[in-house]
Amino acid sequence: MHGPDIQWYVILAALLFTTGALGVMLRRNPLIILLSVEIMLNSANLLLIAFARLHGREDGQIFAISVMAVAASEVVVGLGLIVAMGRRHVELDVDKLRTLRG
Amino acid sequence: MANFIVWVVWVVAAFACLASALAVVSFSNPFYSALSLIGNLASLAVLFLLLAGEFVAAGQVLVYGGAVMVMFLFVIAYLGDRTDESPWSGGPSWQVVGAVLAGGAILAEVCVVVGLKAGGFLSKPAHIGRSFGSPESIGRLFLTDHLVAFEVTSIVLLVAAVGGVVLGSHARQIEGDART
Amino acid sequence: MAPAAWVCLLLPLASAIVIAIAGTSISRRTAAYVSTLTTMGAFVAAVVAFLALLGQSPEQRSHVTTSWTWLSAGGYHFGLTLLVDQLSIVMMLIVAGVGSLIVAYSVGYMDGENEERRYFAYISLFVFSMLLLVEGGNLLLLLAGWGMVGLSSYLLIGFHQDRPSAVAAAKKAFVMNAFGDATMALALFLLIQHTGRLDYAGVFASSPTGGAVANLIALGLLGGALAKSAQLPLHTWLPDAMEGPTPVSALIHAATMVTAGVYLIVRCHPLFEKAWAVQDLAAGLGAATLLMAGLIALVQTDIKRVIAYSTMSQIGYMFVGAGLGAYPNAMFHLMTHAFFKALLFLAAGLAIHAVAGEQDIRKLAGIGKLMPQTKIVFLIGSLALVGIFPFAGFFSKDSILAAALDHGWYGDVIFAAGLAGAFLTGLYAFRLFFIVFTGEPSAFAREHHHAQHGKEGPLSMRWTVGALALLSCVGGLLQFAPIWHPLSTWLNPVDQSLIEPSSWQEWLTSAGAIAVGLAGIGVAWAIYGAKRMQAPHALRLFEHKFYWDELYDLVWYRTSDAVARGFYALVERPLIAGSLSAVTGAVGLGSRELSLAQNGLVRSYALALASGLAILAVVFLAVR
Repeated sequence: MHGPDIQWYVILAALLFTTGALGVMLRRNPLIILLSVEIMLNSANLLLIAFARLHGREDGQIFAISVMAVAASEVVVGLGLIVAMGRRHVELDVDKLRTLRG
Repeated sequence: MANFIVWVVWVVAAFACLASALAVVSFSNPFYSALSLIGNLASLAVLFLLLAGEFVAAGQVLVYGGAVMVMFLFVIAYLGDRTDESPWSGGPSWQVVGAVLAGGAILAEVCVVVGLKAGGFLSKPAHIGRSFGSPESIGRLFLTDHLVAFEVTSIVLLVAAVGGVVLGSHARQIEGDART
Repeated sequence: MAPAAWVCLLLPLASAIVIAIAGTSISRRTAAYVSTLTTMGAFVAAVVAFLALLGQSPEQRSHVTTSWTWLSAGGYHFGLTLLVDQLSIVMMLIVAGVGSLIVAYSVGYMDGENEERRYFAYISLFVFSMLLLVEGGNLLLLLAGWGMVGLSSYLLIGFHQDRPSAVAAAKKAFVMNAFGDATMALALFLLIQHTGRLDYAGVFASSPTGGAVANLIALGLLGGALAKSAQLPLHTWLPDAMEGPTPVSALIHAATMVTAGVYLIVRCHPLFEKAWAVQDLAAGLGAATLLMAGLIALVQTDIKRVIAYSTMSQIGYMFVGAGLGAYPNAMFHLMTHAFFKALLFLAAGLAIHAVAGEQDIRKLAGIGKLMPQTKIVFLIGSLALVGIFPFAGFFSKDSILAAALDHGWYGDVIFAAGLAGAFLTGLYAFRLFFIVFTGEPSAFAREHHHAQHGKEGPLSMRWTVGALALLSCVGGLLQFAPIWHPLSTWLNPVDQSLIEPSSWQEWLTSAGAIAVGLAGIGVAWAIYGAKRMQAPHALRLFEHKFYWDELYDLVWYRTSDAVARGFYALVERPLIAGSLSAVTGAVGLGSRELSLAQNGLVRSYALALASGLAILAVVFLAVR
């Protein structure tokens, strides 16, 4: 195999995941949170494909494709929610949605 | 020589990937964030190619970078420019500290695992044939070993589609109520 | 043979289950007929088994059939075993025979009750339990049947569940019976410990002889017998049990269940013979009970309670017989008693039924004139009870007394008590008869007596009473000790009598018993029949039933109440209640503080997820 070993991919995936997680935890705009979630999902995909390469089995790639489908579904629902918020003229700020407060 | 070229490609793609991810997280305007995510997805597709995932890379670019991101941009455009409503961060200060600490901890743990516990296992990738990751072999797997996953995925997508429609029509109902 | 025994056992159970499941989808009449027919079917099966036994030689008449291993624990295996031998077949015939007559009587008696189906389901359950008790092939099944008759007795005493006194009586019966069950269970534990088995033959062969263990085993079994048979000192539940419907009193609290204690002693006689002191104690308690119950019966004013005390008294005779080792005589008296006591109860039931449930003999007074047939059958029952020739009680009671004469000075004392008891029997039985059935009818009886069911009651009630009257007349002729004794011969392989009274003892006893019985009747006639005197100055001691209830109240209820109050004041309030409020306060404070974490910020929840992930990763790294 040419190029870097798998551990570099793992570390890159970890960096991507952390970045996405920080985006989810720090940003207040639901759109950007959704985008950050996409980054996290993609880092998981990267790992899946890297390990599929490591083990020489294609099942990891199947997983990655399934994750893509799930991610697409999640985007549909998430965007649907955001559109609904926009139509109701709710401020796009997750900190304002606190009705679940204990 | 081939190895060197691959290294160069990898480094470029990895930096592009990280930079675009940081950009997604840090732009205050979601429109720019979404555009950065397209870059992120594209550079990831390059990495997938390096890992012999031809079909996944193609799917990444077509489905993700194409369809999904177009939907994102549509929504952002539909909602209009609301940057003033979405401050970068804020909330309780412990949230920021905690988030950084947790993220750092996860990162450090992964590095520790990779560096100390993997024991060189990650450096010995298996030998693979030419058809690894090709559409043909992926499709064969999907229709044999992973048939159930394949079918269930279709149901998940259907449910999501229905959910999107319901959410949209619900919103319309609210609008109608508001008008009357 | 074995199939007949199984049919006999399971038919009533099937009836109980069918009636319970069918619920309101069958009519009340149907439930009654299902119950009656199955009990009669059980009787037929018992007769078939009896005939099969008759065809075999005496040594081979004991049959054990095991369907499957019912319970196994460690090395102990107890099968669902039926034992059919000479003794259990006699009990099966009595239980199923008298049972089917009484269930048939209930068809008329319970007519119009609100919950007839429940009644018939219960009574079928009772017949099943009683048959399980007598047919069970090991002591564990005996105990199971023992507990189940207690349960069905509880259910039937409390049948009128809207009547607080009935519920209280049911509870009392259940608690006292549970005490007996517990002592019996302890005896079984001892048996398991010392012999490792519970089947009759094995236990009798290998249980210890003499010494503390044998005495404790016998005492435990005796405790169960005393509680179930309402003997001193566990007798106080039986009079209260008269709260149940009259057929129940006849079947359970006169004919079958309360005689289970006698059956237990007769069945387990090898265990009692290995502890002769306990066996003598049983005879002594029986003698004391028959005297005390006779005295109390003199002053009772409730017709069913009088009969209930006479039941206690007659079972006392049986205990005397069983305790002295005259097992066939005890079983014989058990059988005749089942006939004439069921007859007395059912005849009393006719009278009670006719006046809409009134049981006070002062109000029932003189009803004999309105119900002549009832008067006759009640007279037959009373004569049989007192033991006048040639009615059933004469043959059986006298043979027990004769056996007592052959048992040294202890036997002489018991004989004297038994003779005094016979006098009391004549007195109280005919006090009841003269007050209720002779003389002019009271205003109450005239007013309430109604003739809507024909003259004396519906057909189903009359023919059963007639059948029992016939049995009370001729049932005693089965055995007349000095001349012929088929029952003793029949039971001999299972229960060899320890006592063989000589002929002159038999004749002397018969003469003496009839004499004192007649004397009792004469006194009763003088006081209640001829002059219709009110009860003479009744002794307070009798009226309060020798203060047993008050004693138990003082010893058990008051002390436990005082202890409970003490614990409430010293432990419950300061410690438990105090600590509880502290705990609730702490929990409330903690949850209020914790609810702050639920701040509604989705981002914080995500942070919590991420932190959990980080911590889990550390844990896994540390553990692996």
